[in-house]
Formats: sequence, structure tokens, C-alpha cells
Amino acid sequence: MLSGVNLTIEAGEFVCVVGQTGCGKSTLLRVVLGCEQPTAGRILVEGREVGHPGRDRGYVPQKYSLFPDRTVLENITFGPLMEGAKLWSPLLPEYWRKRRESRATAMKYIDRMGLRPDDACKYPDELSGGMQQRVAIAQALIMNPKILLMDEAFSALDPGTRTDMQRLLRRVWRDTGTTVMFVTHNIAEAIFLSTRVVVIGKDNGAEASRVVAEIEIPEYKRLDSGYLCEEEMARVIREIEDAAMGGRIEQEFAEFGG
Amino acid sequence: MSFFRINAVPNRTTALALSWSLFVAGTALYFWTSHQRHVENPEDRVVPSLSQMVKGMSDAALKPDEADEQEAGAENAPLWQRVHSSMLWKDTLASGKRFLWGLGLLFPAAIIGMHMALFPYVGTVFLRFILFFDKIIALSVLPILFIAFGIDELSKIMLIVIGVTPTVILDAFNLTKGVPPEQIVKGFTLGAGDFTVAYMVVLRQIWPRVLNSIRLNLKPVALFLFSGEMIASTDGLAYRIALLRRNLSMDVIIPYVLWVALLLFLVDFGMRLLNKRLHPWFREA
Repeated sequence: MLSGVNLTIEAGEFVCVVGQTGCGKSTLLRVVLGCEQPTAGRILVEGREVGHPGRDRGYVPQKYSLFPDRTVLENITFGPLMEGAKLWSPLLPEYWRKRRESRATAMKYIDRMGLRPDDACKYPDELSGGMQQRVAIAQALIMNPKILLMDEAFSALDPGTRTDMQRLLRRVWRDTGTTVMFVTHNIAEAIFLSTRVVVIGKDNGAEASRVVAEIEIPEYKRLDSGYLCEEEMARVIREIEDAAMGGRIEQEFAEFGG
Repeated sequence: MSFFRINAVPNRTTALALSWSLFVAGTALYFWTSHQRHVENPEDRVVPSLSQMVKGMSDAALKPDEADEQEAGAENAPLWQRVHSSMLWKDTLASGKRFLWGLGLLFPAAIIGMHMALFPYVGTVFLRFILFFDKIIALSVLPILFIAFGIDELSKIMLIVIGVTPTVILDAFNLTKGVPPEQIVKGFTLGAGDFTVAYMVVLRQIWPRVLNSIRLNLKPVALFLFSGEMIASTDGLAYRIALLRRNLSMDVIIPYVLWVALLLFLVDFGMRLLNKRLHPWFREA
């Protein structure tokens, strides 16, 4: 249960939400997504109240991020083709023109995500977990969402692939300037990716969770590799742990590499 | 080689031999019994010999139906014409039409099941009724169907509808419920509306499983069809089997039963092949 959450995310920001297991970080994301309705309060995207999932919010879940019955190319072009589409749209020539155009755009995204052109015809079950998530990010980004919501998107990946994906996501974020809200239980990942870490936690004896800390990670403090220096890293981790009470959030220093 | 070892891996030849062994044993047992009976009584019709069955089946498949008035020279007509006017052809055609009608109605049933699972209001309206409908034993309402719809085609098709559609509706309902919610949310975030999510995301994903479910219901469809034909019909494969039973014509009944099994096997095989071709992404569990 979440209560008293007052969170503003500026356009172009990369916000990571961290917290202990069961603290409600995924619930927060689902409320922003519109899958769950808040009992009180409102969610505004560019000043407009949102209720249900819509095309202004991109979504990359941990699992089932791609349509299994569609190839990589069909997955990425699904969004552009669905814009204003009706069930009978495939009968109209306009649909096929749009299909040609969106396929060309999708190929650019395939390249940008570091996939090979011949991956375009593969079905999701022929791809590795990391490749699937690359396609899922492309699928969401091609729609130019106002905010990209990612729920533990890299949690199921092996450490090496996860590091690659983190680097890719950071590069894509810098190139596109898309606003991102990324839920993770991994502090190192949150620090590496975000411009601000939002910590969700509970006060002593409280039933509901709330935002207990918001920690800025200024870009100028990053090394060329994108990581913070060891001293700064330790300070931010301490701050997050203190805020989350007890410091039981999983740390994966091995992945962080220092 | 130990027969009851969980980790056993039969080699190709052994597997082939074992899988055909019961067919061979069954056939051998049949012909041995037939031979024994024919030694005692050469005119035995209960366990016909191979030559009796071949003659019976060739009469059924190549001679004009006795119910028709025989045209002069029909015996010398070309093969296709003889097959076309035969009892087997006419019965197969009559049963096949009814079977395909019944099968065809299962597809809209699957769509209903999907709507019930996706749209809560549709589910609220239909679910309780379908669950009740599913418990009705189709054969018990057969007299009502004959009174309401007569003994023509409609009552036999309705019997299939009552007998099998609730199962398919509930199957499609469960399959739709099994689609991960992430996929539906994803559809909405990519700009799809309610119906495009239903038909372009959910239906496409459940369709191969729906086809499988329909395929697995082929036998119940045939069962209800045969029940209807045996009780009230003037043509059809089951009607013929019931009719021949009175004359103890096992020489035709057994080939007819094998013919029906072959037809069902071919439909099953065709649907399996079609499913594979249409849905290359689908991996059967």
C-alpha cells in the first residue's frame, strides 16, 4: 500500500525507483501506467489526468515484453500500425502504405538497439533475454512516449547482459531525451542509470509505504565510464540504505564492477 | 533393456516396433478368431474374413446404392461415377456435411469464450449460463430437439452445439485468462483499442491453442453426430451402421468403423498440419 506519494518527474529525467521487496515500487509504476487506480489522488502526464494505459506511456515489463506471435519487425511496427487502426484497417491501402513506412523506421531502431538486420524476421522465442528486451525498448520508443515505464526490465538477465543493457539504455536515453521511470531492486543499477533515485520505504510501524528519499545523481559527478567514483558511490549507497531503513535492499556490487 | 525405467531411451527401431506391436497383435488375434470360426462355419458373419470384408466394402463403395433405382448399364459405368452413386459415398457426404457444420460452429463459440474472458460485462452475462449449459447432458435433450427442430439436419447440428460448444467456450475462456496481463497492457500502450487488443493481440495468441482444443473435441463432435444419426436419420455413416446391425452385416460394419476412424484421423492430421503452417511461432506443450 502506498500513501502520500507526491512525485514530480521532469521531462527528460531518468528516475529510478528503489525499495525493499514488497514496498510498493511496482505498484507505483502500475498506478502511473493506469493498470491500477489510486483510491485518492491523481496521475498527471503533461498536465493531463490519465486513468487507463495509453500510448503516451511506454511500457517495458520484466517478462512477456513481446508478442510471441509476431516477429521482431512486426513487434516493433505494431504500435505505429495500431495508431487509429480499426479491425478492418488491413483492408485499406492506407494501412499497407503505413506498414511499409513503419518497417523502414523499425529497421533503424533495430540497428540503434544493436541488433542485426536478419534478427528482424525472428520470433521472440528465438532471441536471448537481452535481445528480447532490446526489441521491447525499441517497440516502446518508436511510439515516442511521453514517459517510458520500465518494471524490473533487466532483472531476469545474466549479469553480463544486464550491464550491456544498462549501457545501451543510458545511451538511448541520452540520444532520445525520453523521460524514463525505472523500477529496480538493484541500487547499483539505479545509481548507474538515473539522474534521480527515488526511495520507497515505510516509517516504523506504518502500514503504507511512501517516498522516503529522493537523491539526485548529477551528471557532472560521473566518470567517463558513466559510473560514480568509489567515494561518491559509497556515499549515495549509504544515503539510500539509511533512507530505506535497515539497508536490506539487494546490492549487486559485482555487476557495478567496483 | 528394462521396460519400466523412467530414464530409458528406446532406440528408433525398438520404438517403431513397439508402437506397432498392439496393432499387429490385434489384427493377428482378429484373423485367428475369424479363421477358427470359419473352420466351424464357413458362412460365419459375426467375425468376417478379410475376403468377406473386401467384398462388403467394395460393394458399398463401388456399387450403386440399393435405395436408388438402378440405371441400365450402371455396372459398367466409369469408376468415379460408380463411386459417386455408391452407398459409402452418399453416407460419407451426408455425415461429412453435418460434421463440418458442427465443427464450423465451434469457431464462433471460441470467439464468445474470448469475449467472455476479456470483457467483464460480457463475462458476467454469459459465464453462469454457459457453466449451467455445460452440465446438461446433450443426449438427454435429444427428444426435445427432435420435437423442437424435427428430425432433419438442424436437430443433429443442435445436438453437437449443445454437446460440444460449452466445452470450447470454456476452453477459450480459460486460454484467454491465461494470456499474461502484460501483453494486454502493452497493446494499450502501443495505441491499440479494446477490439484491436482483443483480436490483434489476444485472439492471435490463443488461436493455435483454440484450434488444438477444437481438434481434441473432434471425437465428441463425431459422437454426438453419430448418436443423432443412429436414432433418427435416413442417411449417414452412423445410420448405415445401425441399419446393417439388424442384418448382422459385420463385413460392412467393420470397414465402415475403420473408414470413420480414418476420416477422423485425416481431419485431425490436417488440423495439426494447418496449425503448424499458420502459426510457426507456436510450440506445443
